[in-house]
Amino acid sequence: MNWLLHALATVGAIAAFFGDVVRTGLTRPRYVGETLRIMWILVGRCIIPVGLAVAPVGAVISLQGLDLFRMFGLDRMLSSLLGTAIFREYSPALASVMVAAQAGSSIAARIGTMRVRGQIDALAVMSVDPMRYVVVPGVIACAVVTPLLNVLTNILGVASGWVFAVPLGGVDHGAFMEHLTAQVTPADLWIGLGKCVLFGTSVGLLAGYLGMKVKGGAEAVGQAANDTVTQTIVLILLVDYVVSMMLLGADL
Amino acid sequence: MRAIFEFVRFAQRALIAQFSHFPPFDQLVKQTYQASVGSVALLTMLTVFAGLNLSVQSFATFERFGGQDFLGMFAGIGGVRELYPVMAAVVCGARIGANLAASLANMKISEQVEALEVMSIDPMRHLVAPRLWAVTIALPLLCGYADVIGIGASYAGAVFQLGLDGGTFMSQISQFVRMPDLMVGVFKGLIFGWVVAVIACFHGYRAAKKDGAEGVGIATNRAIVHGAVVCIVMNLVISWILYG
Repeated sequence: MNWLLHALATVGAIAAFFGDVVRTGLTRPRYVGETLRIMWILVGRCIIPVGLAVAPVGAVISLQGLDLFRMFGLDRMLSSLLGTAIFREYSPALASVMVAAQAGSSIAARIGTMRVRGQIDALAVMSVDPMRYVVVPGVIACAVVTPLLNVLTNILGVASGWVFAVPLGGVDHGAFMEHLTAQVTPADLWIGLGKCVLFGTSVGLLAGYLGMKVKGGAEAVGQAANDTVTQTIVLILLVDYVVSMMLLGADL
Repeated sequence: MRAIFEFVRFAQRALIAQFSHFPPFDQLVKQTYQASVGSVALLTMLTVFAGLNLSVQSFATFERFGGQDFLGMFAGIGGVRELYPVMAAVVCGARIGANLAASLANMKISEQVEALEVMSIDPMRHLVAPRLWAVTIALPLLCGYADVIGIGASYAGAVFQLGLDGGTFMSQISQFVRMPDLMVGVFKGLIFGWVVAVIACFHGYRAAKKDGAEGVGIATNRAIVHGAVVCIVMNLVISWILYG
């Protein structure tokens, strides 16, 4: 029973933290400059790992899918599977996981370090709300940067899939493009982007929560950074599955 | 560029140390146990959702041309050959790799590694080699485990949520997922395990005393991110060689 109560307490604490973030995020004053600065740093840090992680996925889908589709003489249909899988599923999920690994852990580490050094308390003493100045910009930055990166990874994923299907796999370019444009609807793109906003927000939130919770020394900071990564990966896959089920139920 | 060169040299030294010095058996068992059992809970959760997703997500595509019955084949082959090994590697990187990097970086910063060198104990042999062996053994095991859990989850998703026929799904799996596919998955796990561990040790080893506690954080973060990226890229290369 104890662990159940413990888990419930954590969920409640995160929910309260989320409410706090929303409240401070919606009221003035806003630190737009700080938010933009963090966003810029995040883009610079994440763009290479995220691109490198998602691009091979499209290629692998083409590589494996082509064999399977060929068995039924459906290799022209490959691009519809590739497009839907990349746009709806793999690009959002994988981009968010890499953002969690790269940006989430560094945000948690930064907030945790500030906490350990007493800088958070110093901010509060100067009557700067630490939630407003430190946590909210991180959450907003993650929520904005993840979809932006997703646009890039969508293109990269489909392009690498194209390379493995058309020049290397021998699928006709016209058929590839036709099925891609016919089967992949704008809804797929928006669903992917919507997922990214959701995942990005949860990365920022968990990073902020775990960072603010840090007590003790350098080791606790490292632990928080590490926990952010593992916990957000679980959260992302869980949310992903729930969203997929809901979309399937709504017939989208 | 210099970092890559350094890494290649480190990997080479690690490989030599690994094969010239097989760690004592009990130590090896202990470390392998820590590496594998520590990640089982996380890996289970992730593979359950990944397996469910694989079913639910590809269902929409297959439904478009009435190919629902082939979902089992797709979920089985895609999962066993590609998804679960990569998944296990990324999770392993995020947990085991991060731990390795943090512990080595800690030793480096508190100058314990230099202390070993002074006592003419080769840190490559006594610190790096056992860890490499442990992860290289643990990850294929985790891959096999992920295969079981993942296919189970795909089955559950297909049968209980999408209402497909369970018998068709299982016969698809047993018809198309053959021994070589499983071996490829486990072989990938072997390679990824070694790569993740070498990358983690490299970043841990690179931390210097002047970096302080921050160096530990940087090493951990890089171990996770580089490990994941390299595994995903290598997955493509291996698949290309095997199936291209």
